[in-house]
Amino acid sequence: MPFSTFSLSVAPSNRPPTESCEEREREMSGHDSKYFSTTKKGEIPELKEELNSQYKDKRKDAVKKVIAAMTVGKDVSSLFTDVVNCMQTENLELKKLVYLYLINYAKSQPDLAILAVNTFVKDSQDPNPLIRALAVRTMGCIRVDKITEYLCDPLQRCLKDDDPYVRKTAAICVAKLYDINAELVEDRGFLEALKDLISDNNPMVVANAVAALAEIQENSSRPIFEITSHTLSKLLTALNECTEWGQVFILDALSKYKAADAREAENIVERVTPRLQHANCAVVLSAVKMILQQMELITSTDVVRNLCKKMAPPLVTLLSAEPEIQYVALRNINLIVQRRPTILAHEIKVFFCKYNDPIYVKMEKLEIMIKLASDRNIDQVLLEFKEYATEVDVDFVRKAVRAIGRCAIKLERAAERCISVLLELIKIKVNYVVQEAIIVIKDIFRRYPNTYESIIATLCESLDTLDEPEAKASMIWIIGEYAERIDNADELLESFLESFPEEPAQVQLQLLTATVKLFLKKPTEGPQQMIQVVLNNATVETDNPDLRDRAYIYWRLLSTDPEAAKDVVLAEKPVISDDSNQLDPSLLDELLSNIATLSSVYHKPPEAFVTRVKTTQKTEEDDYPDGVEPGYSESPSHAVDSAASPPATSSSAPHAAARQPVPATPAPVPDLLGDLIGLDNDNNGNGAIVPVDILHEGPPLPVVLPASTGQGLQISAQLVRRDGQIFYSLLFENNSQIPLDGFMIQFNKNTFGVAAAGPLQVPQLLPGTSASTLLPMVLFQNIAPGPPNTLLQVAVKNNQQPVWYFNDKLSLVVFFSEDGRMERSAFLETWKSLPDSNEVSKDFPGIVVNSVEATLDQLAVSNMFFIAKRKHANQDVLYLSAKIPRGIPFLIELTAVVGIPGLKCAIKSPSPEMAPLFFEALENLLKS
Amino acid sequence: MISQFFVLSQRGDNIVFRDYRGDVQKGSAEIFFRKVKFWKEDGEEEAPPVFNVDGVNYFHVKVVGLLFVATTRTNVSPSLVLELLQRIARVVKDYLGVLNEDSIRKNFVLVYELLDEVVDFGYVQTTSTELLKSFIFNEPIVVDVARLQALGPAGLFMQGTKRMPGTAVTKSVVANEPAGRKREEIFVDIIEKISVTFSSSGYILTSEIDGTIQMKSYLSGNPEIRLALNDDLSIGRGGRSIYDYSGSSGSGAVILDDCNFHESVHLDSFDVDRTLSLVPPDGEFPVMNYRITQEFKPPFRINALIEQAGPLKAEVIVKIRAEYASSITANTILVQMPLPPYTTRVSFELEPGAVGQVTDFKESNKRLEWGLKKAMFLLNGLMSCILNSIVGGSEHTLRAKLTFSQESHGNITKEAGPVSMNFTIPMYNASRLQVKYLQIAKKSKNFNPYRWVRYVTQTNSYVARI
Repeated sequence: MPFSTFSLSVAPSNRPPTESCEEREREMSGHDSKYFSTTKKGEIPELKEELNSQYKDKRKDAVKKVIAAMTVGKDVSSLFTDVVNCMQTENLELKKLVYLYLINYAKSQPDLAILAVNTFVKDSQDPNPLIRALAVRTMGCIRVDKITEYLCDPLQRCLKDDDPYVRKTAAICVAKLYDINAELVEDRGFLEALKDLISDNNPMVVANAVAALAEIQENSSRPIFEITSHTLSKLLTALNECTEWGQVFILDALSKYKAADAREAENIVERVTPRLQHANCAVVLSAVKMILQQMELITSTDVVRNLCKKMAPPLVTLLSAEPEIQYVALRNINLIVQRRPTILAHEIKVFFCKYNDPIYVKMEKLEIMIKLASDRNIDQVLLEFKEYATEVDVDFVRKAVRAIGRCAIKLERAAERCISVLLELIKIKVNYVVQEAIIVIKDIFRRYPNTYESIIATLCESLDTLDEPEAKASMIWIIGEYAERIDNADELLESFLESFPEEPAQVQLQLLTATVKLFLKKPTEGPQQMIQVVLNNATVETDNPDLRDRAYIYWRLLSTDPEAAKDVVLAEKPVISDDSNQLDPSLLDELLSNIATLSSVYHKPPEAFVTRVKTTQKTEEDDYPDGVEPGYSESPSHAVDSAASPPATSSSAPHAAARQPVPATPAPVPDLLGDLIGLDNDNNGNGAIVPVDILHEGPPLPVVLPASTGQGLQISAQLVRRDGQIFYSLLFENNSQIPLDGFMIQFNKNTFGVAAAGPLQVPQLLPGTSASTLLPMVLFQNIAPGPPNTLLQVAVKNNQQPVWYFNDKLSLVVFFSEDGRMERSAFLETWKSLPDSNEVSKDFPGIVVNSVEATLDQLAVSNMFFIAKRKHANQDVLYLSAKIPRGIPFLIELTAVVGIPGLKCAIKSPSPEMAPLFFEALENLLKS
Repeated sequence: MISQFFVLSQRGDNIVFRDYRGDVQKGSAEIFFRKVKFWKEDGEEEAPPVFNVDGVNYFHVKVVGLLFVATTRTNVSPSLVLELLQRIARVVKDYLGVLNEDSIRKNFVLVYELLDEVVDFGYVQTTSTELLKSFIFNEPIVVDVARLQALGPAGLFMQGTKRMPGTAVTKSVVANEPAGRKREEIFVDIIEKISVTFSSSGYILTSEIDGTIQMKSYLSGNPEIRLALNDDLSIGRGGRSIYDYSGSSGSGAVILDDCNFHESVHLDSFDVDRTLSLVPPDGEFPVMNYRITQEFKPPFRINALIEQAGPLKAEVIVKIRAEYASSITANTILVQMPLPPYTTRVSFELEPGAVGQVTDFKESNKRLEWGLKKAMFLLNGLMSCILNSIVGGSEHTLRAKLTFSQESHGNITKEAGPVSMNFTIPMYNASRLQVKYLQIAKKSKNFNPYRWVRYVTQTNSYVARI
């Protein structure tokens, strides 16, 4: 087990080394830093001598020198015995220094560390409570088995110590021990002892016990720390006496409690509300979280209204804190006002930006201003935005301009006023303001068609100043869309055509579409020539497939049936709404339950960024000669062997997959094994590193990088779902002549933001061998913008070859989650609540359903759950549900006649744009 | 819980590094510093205080030019961590007297000792200097005060004529004075930061006061203290919205929108007679924070005007009037105003007889600056102007003639301004919140400690639009 539980440093500054030494000696002599001064030779022997001096003060000074050397990274481990000898002292200052040293070096000198054990045990019974506490605190930090073994007895005593300082230290120590050896904690009954401490009469002890239990629960699949109504009332009482930090521990632990009914919820809220008056922002936010959660259960509108009123002032007060805290508060408020807009409806003024706010605060304030903008305050808000739009910071200015547009889209009655502000801004002719304004005006046109076109003339005046792709594309879209109203639309478009090949793809696409629109609206000679130029450019001259495909479609449409082309291209477009920053309701729910955590700052669910690594990083260069956990002692030597020497058989049977025993990573931990053998299902998404797949079975993986391309390296891979978690199953085969090592993997942005949860664990591959691995994956890391697609671009590198890039496919099937089953009633309701425009259907003429049962079984394996069935003539109609992450459901209707080819599938979902992916996945499933 | 805590200098040197849990790699400080230094995502210049790199969450706050940083892998409460970082800085300052790179390096053993008591296995234990005293055994090595500038809010009092005893600010709460007995004294500072935005026609658009009653006690034996505030103090705007100022002004009552108190404060008689009683712990701490949006009389009126005076010329007139009593003096006054980007030259014209005023045109960022003695005026192209002090009731005017390299696009007021002002006014508070008396429970007849009750008003954001 690698453990750098303690490391510290006082790094030298950037001055040249020789000069810095002298200089520092000069300027710092007479202070602690004198310990940094060095004699050129024989430093260690000299220190050794001093450490063994008969004078106390000299020994203390010597230990300080040793610590100073340690902090600048010098190896003073050879003094271990001498330092440990200084441990037996009544001088606390000296004792603490020795302990500091021990934590740092015990792991590299485990055999010597045992020398300290006696003193530790003795200290844990010292009459001075500070020494008792210090002993257990330090022992808990030394992650050496031999020390841990001896920790149990002192810990047991200290948990029942008379002194609260010792008890509170012992409480945390149980969490330390659990992290080292969970089994030991359970076997020795420390959990019960910890639970007893919840009723301790000292609030600090209670707080630490709660913190320790909460952490242990977090890492365990068994119910260990469940809040009952009894513990609840006990903890609520302790709350009033706790330190501010303890209050946060307790509030956070209690926030998981679900009240039985509205009355209990009201009771809880009543006892938590006084915390809103606390000077510590963390207490206030944790209290807000608790109240918001209980409010969901409260039915009385009066009570809810009253609570909203009570929460507003403290929330606003958070904005008087340091800017760092303001930022956290604003990110949380952003979520809160999405759920309960009334809380801060009257407080919009406090979100007005101050000129000296840091940019990250200003940006967040803008977001909230947009959310709180209403018909009542829009004039005031616009005045502010207008002012911001003339400030110096370019990003802020852009965001302000965009905000005006978003208000226009959000508030129909204010749209006209917003537009006149935008026009005023355009007249200042500041380049980036104009471009930003044009981008939002395009959206306004899409929101209110045929209303504000009179301003087009003004926009066209700025045409030649546009140089950003998005602004250009927007302007071109406007010209194409309203070609019939712009007299010189053809001239305007023509001016862009010359530079067509050099334009970015975004602009090219808009130019293509706009020219087609122009031609359809004004089929005269000019536009006809233009369209030929454009189509030629977009088909023959380009190597952009999107552009080429779109151009061919237009071409074919225009050449076969111009009238149909008109119907298609000039069709009425759906009106847009301002949802640019609206969160998905289920995500919002999840984030709201995570108020006052990092999740609410990132606006991402915890599993998207929490990668629990229980072992220390294997990135550290430390070696771990003996650092193996008890219970694993039988495996490590084996692990090292097989990682180093290739099993000769594996090349002949690639899918037997070079069976690697578990610990290819240093030091596995107990629940890692649990993951591997599938015991720990709750733990999905936590991304424990599973180094090597020992369970890989099933069909061979598709080859994604053939050996011919990969200079002898062949990679087969596929995304798979196991026990609720997504893995990338990979098989590496080395057919080259050289050993390959140092494998790394990276994923490009993709629709689901799929990315590796940890580093790729592949041992060195000797020629002719292979290895397979299951790489745990996380979602929503790097989400590719644009419509959903199945492309997954992967790059793999090793130390010997160039970087290999290959494309793989994302199959929607692996995203279907285990909790996708819907109740019949919920299904019906959801089906009804979704508009018909969300329904998409497709026929699969090639698919035959031979048995309804078999088909349902097949789908159930992939987490598509059967809900109901009905007969319609000779057809079977099946209803199923499935769910992909972020809680997006799919309601599925399958219609088929048993035994006859042809299956019709209709789905309804809040995200109909996922439909093509769904159909593709379904087809693959049922075909196989 | 947090995994690591470290302090970095502005150059990115590790000054302190403490690993509590060992689940974050050691190179984290370097990764952090590189990320913060080159934060360009979305073009934002300044890194937000919380961000995630490769599964590690980094929190940081800036304190006196140092970066206080914590890391974690878990979904912790970010406000807890950020608040903790601020508190660690405060505790270290309480102990060392002065917080800077030098003092930390000289006291590294003490700092590590503190860190071990403040946080255990990533969980905050206590940040109370008072409580920590019983567990900490290293003596601070106090760095030479004379060479150093005063830091923190209390440093404000070092400026200006009414100089407070300088030792108070940088005195360690634990170190003994070299002369032997330590001086019995207590400081109560009422610090108000005001934000005002004037519209172009001079109306107040928004105004807000963020106030703190800050206490720093050097009293031995921790006697109980009673602090009495204005009798007519009331809390909560009731049902009235922020837009409604009627009835609040002129009545004389001080109405707080919201306030909160330090945990040592007892509010038993607060509702009856507006007194707070507390046993002040050692170290500096806020007794009470409050927030006011009730209308108040702004200390300065600003009138600013920019006018076209020909195709390539314009004239700027900035007038500021001090609206407070003549017995009070504002200092370090700085007025700034961004000018149109195509401004090439600025010539200034001060009022006749103006003494000690400084004007400047910063070509690089197009700002005009104007400074007066005791008041500073800065308009920045930014024009800027430094006025060292302004006596109550007085009025100062600056005229500046601008020359442009190109014609204005039309609306010149959209391309210049707003005028912002920075100042500090000692012994003045905008809210009229007062400490009526400060009573210290007497231990003996001879016990007569020094009491310092000080007021100061500072600008947070003081802006006039044009």
